[in-house]
Amino acid sequence: MAASVVPETDSIRRAVLLLNAVDPGRFPRLLSRLLQRLHLKAETSFSEEEEEKLQIAFSLEKQDLHLVLEAISFILEQAVYHNLKPASLQQQLQSIHLDQDKAEAFANAWAAGGQETIEKFRQRVLTPQKLETIGWQLNLQMSASTQAKLKSPRAVLELGVSNEDSKNLKKVFVEFSHQELFEFYNKLETIQAQLDSLT
Amino acid sequence: MAAVAVGKAAGAAYGHGESSGGSGGFLGPRVPAEVEAMARGLQEVGKETFRRLLKVTVNALEGKDCKDSVKLIAESTDLSEEQLAFLISGMYTLLREALRLPLSTFKQEVFKEDLKELRRPVSEGTALMQASRLPNVQDFKWRVDVAISTSSLARALQPSILMLMKLSDGTAHRFEVPVAKFQELRYNVALILKEMNDLEKRSILKIQD
Repeated sequence: MAASVVPETDSIRRAVLLLNAVDPGRFPRLLSRLLQRLHLKAETSFSEEEEEKLQIAFSLEKQDLHLVLEAISFILEQAVYHNLKPASLQQQLQSIHLDQDKAEAFANAWAAGGQETIEKFRQRVLTPQKLETIGWQLNLQMSASTQAKLKSPRAVLELGVSNEDSKNLKKVFVEFSHQELFEFYNKLETIQAQLDSLT
Repeated sequence: MAAVAVGKAAGAAYGHGESSGGSGGFLGPRVPAEVEAMARGLQEVGKETFRRLLKVTVNALEGKDCKDSVKLIAESTDLSEEQLAFLISGMYTLLREALRLPLSTFKQEVFKEDLKELRRPVSEGTALMQASRLPNVQDFKWRVDVAISTSSLARALQPSILMLMKLSDGTAHRFEVPVAKFQELRYNVALILKEMNDLEKRSILKIQD
């Protein structure tokens, strides 16, 4: 049997106790909400309002609520890391004394949205700059201050590169002549050939 | 001979709608004053001096500093400062306008040959003057990685592409391209190429001028 994915630390034990006491009615919805936002880098905390509502709904104090939310997130992250099957997850949770109905709720939520979450994690990149948007414009240059009667087609590529630090998209403008664009395309084709050889 | 050629060019430029084709010559409907003055002043200029003036003008067009060369010419000939000024400014304007036109329209073959004698081919002169344009790609480097394992996934096996683009304005951009975005980029570039091909086939581009 695989090593325990969820270690039995003090905080986990305490979280399990709290979870077992929680009303099972709204539990599945909480699970799927957390699962959907798991991959987001920013603190996926609920807003003040939402936290208060949760406190009331689950009759938990603020600190206990935080502990419960963190424990659920941790369990789900471990499920992502090890790519657990739903049945395996349920078994692991029951072995740390989580009630069966809650463990089953976990398994169901994981079965429904697990693969999607794993895929989102796969897409996460570590490099600070990532290509987000691609725009382009095809112009026909008729003349310039240094040259008359041109008729040369020119393409302008606008690449939107996101920076992890700032929220704005850095726009990079690059101009190509027909020949230059053709050479660029050949390089892209080479990259594609490499990608194809991976599968 | 070069003097004659420049003279002919200036003469052809005296278009005023009477030149060949009625297009007004390459200097436009009105010949600039300095070119006219130059054409008049050329009569007294010797071949050697003219050659040197031409060389100075071409250097000026290329953006090089020619104060010393002009001083040398001034000292070795008996042309007044004023005459020199007329000649050089006229030749500068003439050459600059001539270089704007593509080779197919410019018919002064003799003029071109004389420029070649100075070892300054016309195409080179044209290439030296770049109009304002957006930067183009000077260097493009890339690599394909496969992430085997990450802090969030024990078995990721996710390919990704890293690109480094160095542009002609000196800036360098390094960024990661997710595979899906790469496909989008490839598709768009192919689309632009297709549109360029269609554009070049259209009749408006076949009109010779």
